[in-house]
Amino acid sequence: MESVWFGYLKPLNGLLSEDTLRASNPTVLSNFGGNTYRAGWYPLPMVWCYNKDLFDKAGLDADAPPKTWAELLEACDKLKTVGIEPLGGGMQDGYWAEWYMSHAFVQTLDTVGEAVELFIGDKDFNDPRYYEHWVRLEELRTLGFLNKDMPSLELYPGIDLVVAGKLGMGQSIGSRLPADSKATNGRIGSMVMPVFGKGQLAGKPIVDTQGLGIAEGSANPEAAAAFIEYLNTPERLGAFHKATGWLPSSSRFDAELIEDASVKSMWKAWGQSPNITNVTNLMPGQFYEQAAIPTGQQVVQGTLTGEQAGELAARVAQEWRDFNPDLVEKYQEWVVDLSK
Amino acid sequence: MMLSRKLTPYLYLAPMLALLTFVFGFSILRVFEFSFKMVRGIDGPWIGLRNYRLVLSQPLFWESVKHNLILLLAIPAMVAIALLLSLLLYDRLRGWKIYRTILFFPYILAIPIIAVVMKQMFQFSGPVNEVLRWLSLDFMALDWIGSTDVALWTVMMLIIWRESALGVILFLSRLLSLDESMVEAARLDGANWWQRAWHVLIPQMRGVIEFYVVISVITMLSSVFAYVYMMGGGRGGPGTSTMITELYIYNALTRTSLPGIASAVSVMLFVVSLALIYLLFVIRRRDHGDGA
Repeated sequence: MESVWFGYLKPLNGLLSEDTLRASNPTVLSNFGGNTYRAGWYPLPMVWCYNKDLFDKAGLDADAPPKTWAELLEACDKLKTVGIEPLGGGMQDGYWAEWYMSHAFVQTLDTVGEAVELFIGDKDFNDPRYYEHWVRLEELRTLGFLNKDMPSLELYPGIDLVVAGKLGMGQSIGSRLPADSKATNGRIGSMVMPVFGKGQLAGKPIVDTQGLGIAEGSANPEAAAAFIEYLNTPERLGAFHKATGWLPSSSRFDAELIEDASVKSMWKAWGQSPNITNVTNLMPGQFYEQAAIPTGQQVVQGTLTGEQAGELAARVAQEWRDFNPDLVEKYQEWVVDLSK
Repeated sequence: MMLSRKLTPYLYLAPMLALLTFVFGFSILRVFEFSFKMVRGIDGPWIGLRNYRLVLSQPLFWESVKHNLILLLAIPAMVAIALLLSLLLYDRLRGWKIYRTILFFPYILAIPIIAVVMKQMFQFSGPVNEVLRWLSLDFMALDWIGSTDVALWTVMMLIIWRESALGVILFLSRLLSLDESMVEAARLDGANWWQRAWHVLIPQMRGVIEFYVVISVITMLSSVFAYVYMMGGGRGGPGTSTMITELYIYNALTRTSLPGIASAVSVMLFVVSLALIYLLFVIRRRDHGDGA
């Protein structure tokens, strides 16, 4: 949204038809001041993935992955008992820590706007409710459920461990599913992160989108808008899927064109059902770099407790406010759009 | 006629000087200017010393400076390794030119290439730890790039390995330019290898050693970005254990939309680097005065 606040983007209302804009599924993160600045292009479902063969080996039901925190711990215990590393991935480049916040932090929130309130100072990361997700991560580490090379592996090699049958569960992204499903003959499953939180957003599938916008300085915004309209015709949406193997975000896309059963099932649960957006995508860059990522890495390392992670997050949020008083005002306005 | 002859060399230099002044000079002036502004996009309002106050009160900035200072500990190791290897090469044993090439090879390779390879090798389940475990040295199989306690030292090892190669070449060049009669005289007097090195050769290398130390100090303070970026996951990780001032500047500029903050730290780094370069000139002027 900084691109909007710095005056780089035009609002799409009035340029695109209301019907096309809504159908493109831009998500709530595209809205500010009552205008929409981004049309959806392709979705980014955030999933937890698991290896069904390893679940079978551990005596778990591969078609009924854990839904609650207690079920998750039980599943991890069973996997560990048969010699399988239960959960994790790769965290060296930091993105696993970000994705963990996308899945876990949001469970303690009632609205997406509540996350913004933490950055602008209306709420505090020192409140146990808002660092509980790091306490849960600490619990996974303490119980020995995370893969031992997690701190030194990068994100995608970490996901590869699940596909290769060396790790039971991990975090992944929906766009990987076609290839991973093909590589394992459909033995990679998708699930929502098991629930521990009591916020109203807990347990909901997470989908964000990459989008298309129109520059403020565009010489011919009507032509740009016409092109976006064209890209959102059913024929072009089908061509996008055929060329890339991935899905467009528009609801005008004919989901019957999806051939892979795992992808179809994932899209039914994530894209075609009620979902929430990815909360880490509204984080100020300074918080993302100096808190969201380092906290997860250090909790997994054992050098920070969950509570200390909350203290670090609170300090960095304050620093962001000190460094960016102008952006604090914009975030205060944005809360209104995000809380709808 | 006399005046035009004096001016001629400068006239030949003038176009290039003008270009360099524009490219570097204009950029440096703009960085100084931005350091006093809250820049959004390409400009912003004047805020005086606020950026400097914010940076100097931020723990992450001081952690970055501390890490740069820790990296200075690499320098004695680099000097010692480069000296030892160059002295061994100076003996010109059979095949010494091949050894020289092998020793200099790391310096020829781009840092991202060796860092990517090193990252793979030093993973917790990587080949280095596999060998250590096979040799029953499990206590040494550390999480070289994943542990906040160890990661910076792993980066330091990589820097020492690569940057020592430059020292080898500098020291060897100096050794090969020395008058061998003094060394021969010491050998005839019964001095062993170490005594010849310590009492005859190394004293004559003082100038080049000092030059190498100053260059290495500047490197550790302002030219280790590539090492840290590649080894630290692009973010100075794990945690902030490999965050250094260059990466701090890069993040402030590109990831946290704070060009003013990035400029303030750049100015501070520039001033420190200038001071070190001035020190280098003083040393070299003194050495020329001594005839070294």
